[in-house]
Amino acid sequence: MEVFLQTLVAGVLKGGLYALIGLGMTLIMGVMGIINLAHGQFMMVAMYITYALFHFFGLDPYTTLIISMPSLFLLGVLIQKYLLNPLMKVESILPENQVLMTVGIAMVLTEIARFIFSSNYLSVRTSYSSSAFYVGGISFSVALTVAFGFTCFLTISLFWFLIKTDLGRSIRAVSQDSEAAELMGIDSGRIKVITMGIGAGLVAAAGTLLLPIYYLFPDIGGPFTRKAFIITILGGLGSTVGAIFGGLTLGLAESFGATYIGMDFEDLVGLVIFLLVLLFIPGGFRRFTKV
Amino acid sequence: MLKVEGLNVSYGDLQVLWDVSFEVKEGEIVVLLGANGAGKSTTLKTVSSLVKPTVGSVEFLGVRLDRIPSHEVINYGLAHVPEGRRLFPDMTVEENLIVGSLTREAKSKRKKTLEWLYDIFPRLRERIKQPTGTLSGGEQQMVAIARGLMSLPKLIMFDEPSLGLAPIMVTEIFKVVEMVNREGVTVLLVEQNVHHTLAMCDRAYVLENGRITLSGTGEEFLNNDHIKEAYLGI
Repeated sequence: MEVFLQTLVAGVLKGGLYALIGLGMTLIMGVMGIINLAHGQFMMVAMYITYALFHFFGLDPYTTLIISMPSLFLLGVLIQKYLLNPLMKVESILPENQVLMTVGIAMVLTEIARFIFSSNYLSVRTSYSSSAFYVGGISFSVALTVAFGFTCFLTISLFWFLIKTDLGRSIRAVSQDSEAAELMGIDSGRIKVITMGIGAGLVAAAGTLLLPIYYLFPDIGGPFTRKAFIITILGGLGSTVGAIFGGLTLGLAESFGATYIGMDFEDLVGLVIFLLVLLFIPGGFRRFTKV
Repeated sequence: MLKVEGLNVSYGDLQVLWDVSFEVKEGEIVVLLGANGAGKSTTLKTVSSLVKPTVGSVEFLGVRLDRIPSHEVINYGLAHVPEGRRLFPDMTVEENLIVGSLTREAKSKRKKTLEWLYDIFPRLRERIKQPTGTLSGGEQQMVAIARGLMSLPKLIMFDEPSLGLAPIMVTEIFKVVEMVNREGVTVLLVEQNVHHTLAMCDRAYVLENGRITLSGTGEEFLNNDHIKEAYLGI
């Protein structure tokens, strides 16, 4: 029973971070109608920013959120404005070509990171990286718990923004019907730029929060792009509430897979769940959420 | 107020409008009649700059709308209620209406406009928190009209508001259109429903195969042999 609860806690904490990764991808999917295959690479860039600030300036990893998130917001804005939006203006270019562009961006970001930091594994060791506290015999990793707290805060802020502000409503309007949104006076090009910024900013937070308990090398983006893709599909392409469920499901699946099947099968269990959802509930968790 | 001159519009190699010209004066209800595929929706889309003409001009209160991006059109006081309603299905009734009032002036009067519209459409007040995807067709059309009015337009264009509605709803929708006009909003209405519209309009144009073939007052149209035969089935 204790092992089960321990696995559950670990899965939920990790799932929170996955939800944060999936939320950004889902927003981008909803508004742009494309899968951003550079999503994990955005996260990798944020992790290097955190690493550099920690290593050279001695900043606490969590403090670096106030730099990594705005930096990635800006990177997302510039990429959308100067690389992706121009592709949409050419009618003969299919939306698929924007996806190819994101693949290219992913490669360029990875190689720039390799150029600057080399391929070596790096990590950020803090006093709380491997410490834990206990509640009723169950251990909670301090770093993961703090990360979970930040994740909840960011998620609630995001939903408040999407539901209560005119800009947030405009983002939802464009994702539901972009031509009707144009008629309402919404500049969909501008909304796309802002959405890419927000998506990149959210995944930056996930990267920064993950770094104290993880390691870092230039190719780390790829696996996380894949995870983000799985979460977005699980959540039902474009559903924000679905992305949270998708993130938690993947976190729990990996956690239980690692405990009950074996550490090596962690990723496999996630992928099996992914296939099962595709087979038996196509459309993902969206049908249960309606948001 | 709105002056459309010599519009030619093509989708790729396919030309759908030829030399379309018409005019809407302040305070009028003007109807654009035509069968499916005649180019009615394309005409309205060109007026709101969603589609750019190859030749011709759209002038509204002295502004060339064909030269500005579509999302700026609403700032000049022209609202477009599109064909098929095009609501934001996962957003509630109230959220849809709020998104209709993003221009600066409309935003400052948002609360008052909402109250005004809920008085006109009491049924929407009952459904404030309901996602519009779950409403009936008639209720959705009311939301679409109300959303168009939220921007406090000087001219509002309706693209087939009666499409797919039950006869009772159709009558109600046209009553709303007349009432909107009485409130001082100029109306450009695109319709296939000839009976209702000719009785209430000031002037009408007929669009056939992408060309304006006839224009006149509603009364002239009701007595016109061609109209009787082709649209009224008499």
